[in-house]
Amino acid sequence: MTPGFLCAVRGPVMLITLGVLLSIDHFGTVSFGRTWPVLLIVFGIFKLMERSGARTS
Amino acid sequence: MKRASVVAPLLLIGIGLLFLARNMYPDLALVDYFARYWPTLLILWGVLRLAEILFWAATERELPARGMSGGEWILIVFLCMIGLSVHTVRGFESWWPRSGITMGGIDMFGESFEYPIAGETQTTKAPRVIIESFRGNARITGIDSSSVKVTGHKSIRSLEQSGADNANKDSQFEITGDTNQITIHTNQDHVSGSQRITEEMEITVPKGATVEAHGRTGDFDVNDISGNVEIVSDNAGVRLQNIGGEVKIDLRKSDIVRAVNVKGPLDLKGRGADIELQDIDGQVTIAGTYSGVIQFRNISKPLRFNGQQTDLNIEKLPGQVRMALGDFTATNLIGPIRLTTRSRDVHISDFTNSLELTVERGDIELRPGKLPVAKMDVHAHFGDVEVSLPPAAKFDLTGITARGETYTDFGAPLHTERNGNGGSIRGSSGGPVINLQTEHGKMTVRKATADDKPFAPEVDGPSTSAAPAKPLQKVEQ
Repeated sequence: MTPGFLCAVRGPVMLITLGVLLSIDHFGTVSFGRTWPVLLIVFGIFKLMERSGARTS
Repeated sequence: MKRASVVAPLLLIGIGLLFLARNMYPDLALVDYFARYWPTLLILWGVLRLAEILFWAATERELPARGMSGGEWILIVFLCMIGLSVHTVRGFESWWPRSGITMGGIDMFGESFEYPIAGETQTTKAPRVIIESFRGNARITGIDSSSVKVTGHKSIRSLEQSGADNANKDSQFEITGDTNQITIHTNQDHVSGSQRITEEMEITVPKGATVEAHGRTGDFDVNDISGNVEIVSDNAGVRLQNIGGEVKIDLRKSDIVRAVNVKGPLDLKGRGADIELQDIDGQVTIAGTYSGVIQFRNISKPLRFNGQQTDLNIEKLPGQVRMALGDFTATNLIGPIRLTTRSRDVHISDFTNSLELTVERGDIELRPGKLPVAKMDVHAHFGDVEVSLPPAAKFDLTGITARGETYTDFGAPLHTERNGNGGSIRGSSGGPVINLQTEHGKMTVRKATADDKPFAPEVDGPSTSAAPAKPLQKVEQ
């Protein structure tokens, strides 16, 4: 898990998360207005993994 | 080595396929699908990119600095804006069942609590009954009485009993008004987050009543009422039977509108899927977008249908009309008839007076059947034209194809002529003018034989017998 790999994967994973949240919104279960912080969390996790990846290497 | 993403070509192919589908089946409700499923595109896009990057990583090629380029993000922002606005415009709301998603035995969205509702009010023999906007189903039946009676139940979705009890208290069911005009309130909007409440109502009203119903999501069944019926809803299936007065229906979305035996005029507006009308004594006016199967049977006044792709006017319809995806079949019509359609195969038999037909793409088959033959003016842009005339018919016929074969077995007075890539069939025995034209396609004029059966559209519509008393469907939300 090199930092380069994490950086490259981050965009697509964020996009998938966004798509899933909007799907959930459109299917009426939980509105996007309530689930959007998930995006921040996913982004944060990536940042965290990059940091730890950079430290170990 | 330059790595080009696989997403851009796939996007192109996808857009091409979409437009192709739209051209082949113009009635396909593509926009509706898009409005509902567009976030799936984001997921697909992400998954594709992810797969690509994993593949590159696995084959130990150089990885891009960023998974998604700036240009891609801009495209995604645009896609989101379009998707969200289409979604809002189309008024999609909760159609996915909120209930029933459980995880490890814990119901994520609470459970349903039921409360009975009931009310009765004395009225005159012909009151005006107004149902205020609500979520849920209503069955309204006219009976010999002079009172309005409501029974049913209210479902409240809540995490615990006390919350449901409070919501029930805040949304007390009530009937107000005097003997001439009463209003039924469900008061669902008195509770915040009113989507948690649905009401199932069985309403009996005096036979002479006039009903005005407003709904948000849910079905309406109205039976045996001699007054007018007006229904306005965001999303509803509507079934009417034995209505004495005028019918007005305005729906933003519907799966079915069915009306059987209406004495007055019927006016339908909005968007939806299927329409079934039978035994209508008044004028029928329909305007809107309907993507399902549309059937009309026995309409004794003029019928005007104004759809997205198809305009239809018929003076009187003792027979039937059936329109499905890419197909228009009709038999036993009284003209003047006017049909303009983008892309359908058109089959019409037994029609009189006059027929004005314009079809952009699709084959046309006409069997006027009755004598005297109807006056015809037929234009096809892309498609074959075939007309079967009775042997004794009198007419003044001109059939021209700009590119295609001509064929006739009618004999005198008709004769064919070749002209470049096309040709014509002409002949007159002194009668109504028959003008047939196609840009691309075969032109055929046949002699009708006894084997020619009228086009009987498939009968899968309302039956003449009384509708079975089925229980009201539970509204899904």
